[in-house]
Amino acid sequence: MKEGLRLAELGEIPFDEKEILRYAMLPSFAPAPEELPMKECLAAAKGAVQCRAVWCRYPLKRDGEELDLGFARTTSRGLKEHLEGCDEIILFACTAGAEMDRRIARAKLQSPAKGLLMHAIGAQQVEGGCDRLCRQLAEQFPDKQLTDRYSPGYGDLPLEMQKDVMTALDCGRTVGITLTDSLLMTPSKSVTAIIGMKERKPE
Amino acid sequence: MNLKELLQKGPFFLDGGMGTLLQERGLKPGEAPEKWGMTHPDVITDIQRNYYEAGTDMVLTNTFGVHPLRYSLSECEEMVRTAIGCADQARKAIADGKERFVALDIGPCGRLLKPLGNLDFEEAVQGFAEVVRLGVKYGADCVFIETMNDGAEARAALLAAKENSDLPVLVSCAYGADGKLMTGGTPESVVAMLESLGADAVGVNCSLGPDALAPIVERYLAAASIPVLMKPNAGLPQEKDGKTVYNVGPEEFSADIVPLIEKGLRIIGGCCGTTPDFIRAVKNASAGRVPPAVEKKEKTIIASRGHAIELGKDPVIIGERINPTGKKRLRKALEEGDMAYVLNEAIVQEEHGAEVLDVNVGTPGVDEPALLEQAVQELQAVTDLPLQLDTSDPEAMRRALRVYNGKALINSVNGKQEVMDAIFPLVKKYGGAVVALTLDEAGIPGTAEGRLAIAEKILKEAAKYGIGPKDILFDTLTMTVSTDGNAAKVTLDALKMIREKTGCGTVLGVSNVSFGLPVREVLGSVFLTLALENGLSGAIMNPLNERMMGAMISFRTLTGRDENCAAYIQYANDLPTMQAVTPAAGATGGAKETEAKGLRRAVVKGLCKEAANLTRTALEEGRDSLDLVKEEIIPALDEVGQGFEAKKIFLPQLMMSAEAAEAAVAEIKKKAANQDAQASKGIVVLATVKGDIHDIGKNIVKLLLENYGFTVADLGKDVPPETVLEAVERLHAPICGLSALMTTTVPAMAETVKLVHEKAPWCKVMVGGAVLTEEYAREIGADGYGKDAMASVRLAERYMQEQA
Repeated sequence: MKEGLRLAELGEIPFDEKEILRYAMLPSFAPAPEELPMKECLAAAKGAVQCRAVWCRYPLKRDGEELDLGFARTTSRGLKEHLEGCDEIILFACTAGAEMDRRIARAKLQSPAKGLLMHAIGAQQVEGGCDRLCRQLAEQFPDKQLTDRYSPGYGDLPLEMQKDVMTALDCGRTVGITLTDSLLMTPSKSVTAIIGMKERKPE
Repeated sequence: MNLKELLQKGPFFLDGGMGTLLQERGLKPGEAPEKWGMTHPDVITDIQRNYYEAGTDMVLTNTFGVHPLRYSLSECEEMVRTAIGCADQARKAIADGKERFVALDIGPCGRLLKPLGNLDFEEAVQGFAEVVRLGVKYGADCVFIETMNDGAEARAALLAAKENSDLPVLVSCAYGADGKLMTGGTPESVVAMLESLGADAVGVNCSLGPDALAPIVERYLAAASIPVLMKPNAGLPQEKDGKTVYNVGPEEFSADIVPLIEKGLRIIGGCCGTTPDFIRAVKNASAGRVPPAVEKKEKTIIASRGHAIELGKDPVIIGERINPTGKKRLRKALEEGDMAYVLNEAIVQEEHGAEVLDVNVGTPGVDEPALLEQAVQELQAVTDLPLQLDTSDPEAMRRALRVYNGKALINSVNGKQEVMDAIFPLVKKYGGAVVALTLDEAGIPGTAEGRLAIAEKILKEAAKYGIGPKDILFDTLTMTVSTDGNAAKVTLDALKMIREKTGCGTVLGVSNVSFGLPVREVLGSVFLTLALENGLSGAIMNPLNERMMGAMISFRTLTGRDENCAAYIQYANDLPTMQAVTPAAGATGGAKETEAKGLRRAVVKGLCKEAANLTRTALEEGRDSLDLVKEEIIPALDEVGQGFEAKKIFLPQLMMSAEAAEAAVAEIKKKAANQDAQASKGIVVLATVKGDIHDIGKNIVKLLLENYGFTVADLGKDVPPETVLEAVERLHAPICGLSALMTTTVPAMAETVKLVHEKAPWCKVMVGGAVLTEEYAREIGADGYGKDAMASVRLAERYMQEQA
């Protein structure tokens, strides 16, 4: 494995029905439809998800208008604002795995509602994986303050950066994520993001 | 001794890690080793010489990342030429007369193949073929495909190597601690696939240390009839003083590997974190040890991407339903290219206990080779059951075998010389187990002895191609008992005789025996029982037929194959759900009026079963179907649609209502001879644009459009502009809907809009998707923007009114 890369042990991410419904575009105040096939979908998703994550720590440098992220350079204003005060970043990639994509494809064929729900389950799982990774990182760096996640494609940070992310984290080999020619990630339930780190100020 | 013989003999030593050593010599993180090697050939040569001196028999060239998807062809050529030159120099630097080898190293191409990703199989093969041809040109001794974590990609690379060189090919995959590839292959399924495609050695590398990889290697050894290789990491990476270090040293490394040599491991190297010291340690520790000869396994194995099964031990159920013979609905689906119907047949059969799926798409008026290839590709995305490719067209068989990511069951060959000449070369090239029908130019022999004679002839001919009895299963042909009272007996006698005399497995399509007779499944299920008792390995049958399934499961239970009768009890528990649901007429009761209200309510609430039941009852009571649609279903959908637009009803609720409406309409379609009830409002061509693989949104739009009476031609996802235009022109569609989720795929959408407007000016194009806005839609020239599924329905209705 390339120097500096770390694999995270994420374990099983619990299914969170409320979150799943939120990803299926049902607001928390609205009742779930009686016959929504939640149970069936959860049963089908069980055992399919295997959350994997890889991350790497880089020093953050500012070079005039440019940010030097250690693995790539950018002039994105949004990211610059987000990383205000930080002197390091953590770059990570997290995926719910290939099998989840197959279950989604299968569910979509069975019925559109199942497809929507299975897609939401995949989203909840990968986001849950990201949350767990971030908690682990916060524990690992207790003297640092970590920012939220910022992903290529957000605001003015170009999606093109995904190519640099894949190379930097050796994603194909470490977690099994690759890009299509139109820069979409496969497996589809995958997230890449940058987290800023700064010294925790004494209270 | 040549290289192939040396690999067969073993132990044979490979090199170890390269990346870590290059970093020590100046390679920066993020830099590609193959590129760096171009300017530092002396460093590469130096490291490889160290490996040879440590005892390596064959080094891998510094070409892991060389692929036309990453570099231009001229760059690829320079890299391969330089890298092979480095390795060659390294071996020449040691003048001791011992023979040493150079392997062309091939790693993953960086993109995932269809159907999980969107890289086309042939494109992947072509890319690897370029690299292989360069390796041959510059004198590599063999091809080493490694660190593959997708079986389909490993297969593409192996096929490219076989088609473009005569060199030995070794294939190594990267497994997780769960014993699976990241895309889902198991050691057994991967071995079956690669071995049948002609790999000279198979094995594992990277990801784990030797102790964690050992169980996976043992599974390889138990499955493979060819040499097995292992190139583990130096344990697991850990952080120490800000550096990555591995937790296993040379002594522990070799202590974990050496015992495996006695179990048959014969090709050994190291991966990440290993150095020449590791190779030296293993080589020294294994001095004097010789692995036992490679054992030829005699089991009949077929495999899908992630699942290998043995035929001949316990009888398996081969689902027969994907076959248009006598099935009107499937034939129509195939003619219309409605692949979703075919895929659903697969899922339903799997859920009812099928273990292999027969796939036959031959029907007049379709391009069978193209359709079978497409069906096989798409089926693999939704089911992990091994497939039985069923066609009499050799070209269709060739194309299906090419894209089948596993070891297929090939249905079929027979004793006709012409057929054997066409099919056996395909079996030899692509691998697979083949079903052989006991008939020839003279027809079907009327005696068991006659059928046995044909079986023996087929075995002899297969042997000429190197295809052994383990990869042949005989079908002794089920004939209709109503036309020949002795037919079933001859078939069963032949089955038994062939099983005993040749030892080969057997397959029968059981349903045919009862053709033309009443209560067919009674006869069929008893025939199945008799066939099983006579040694049937695979029954081609309908897993949805409870009586046939009952016979199969009972046989398993009665022959000691069903511990605690668990499968039988499960079967009994599932029985009511397998029976056709009889309408619960009267249960809901009440007058017409209340039922009608009930239907509207059921659709609004998204209650599918209730909506279907109420519709059926209403129709039985003489309610007009058109009336039901107009008075109940459409108003219900309108209520839900308006609620959605007012943000009082949300997507999952909208979708459940749409499904309930669909369930109601399905009942109407079943009963109504009066087709006017579903006269189409117009055709809408729907597609997710090229490059985009998101289709949840598009599918919701489709469902709603169909609810509202539109006919939808769904072209799927990742659809090129030309395909959209072709469909619009062919159907003279008045409306086309396009979806794109990513900023990167909006240009493809713009291109599609432009093409349709140019060539099919009658067609209104509406667009939607996460990144789009009203303004953006206008900018790319679309006629309309659907901000959500309901908005798309409203747009489509407006377009149709404008055109009326």
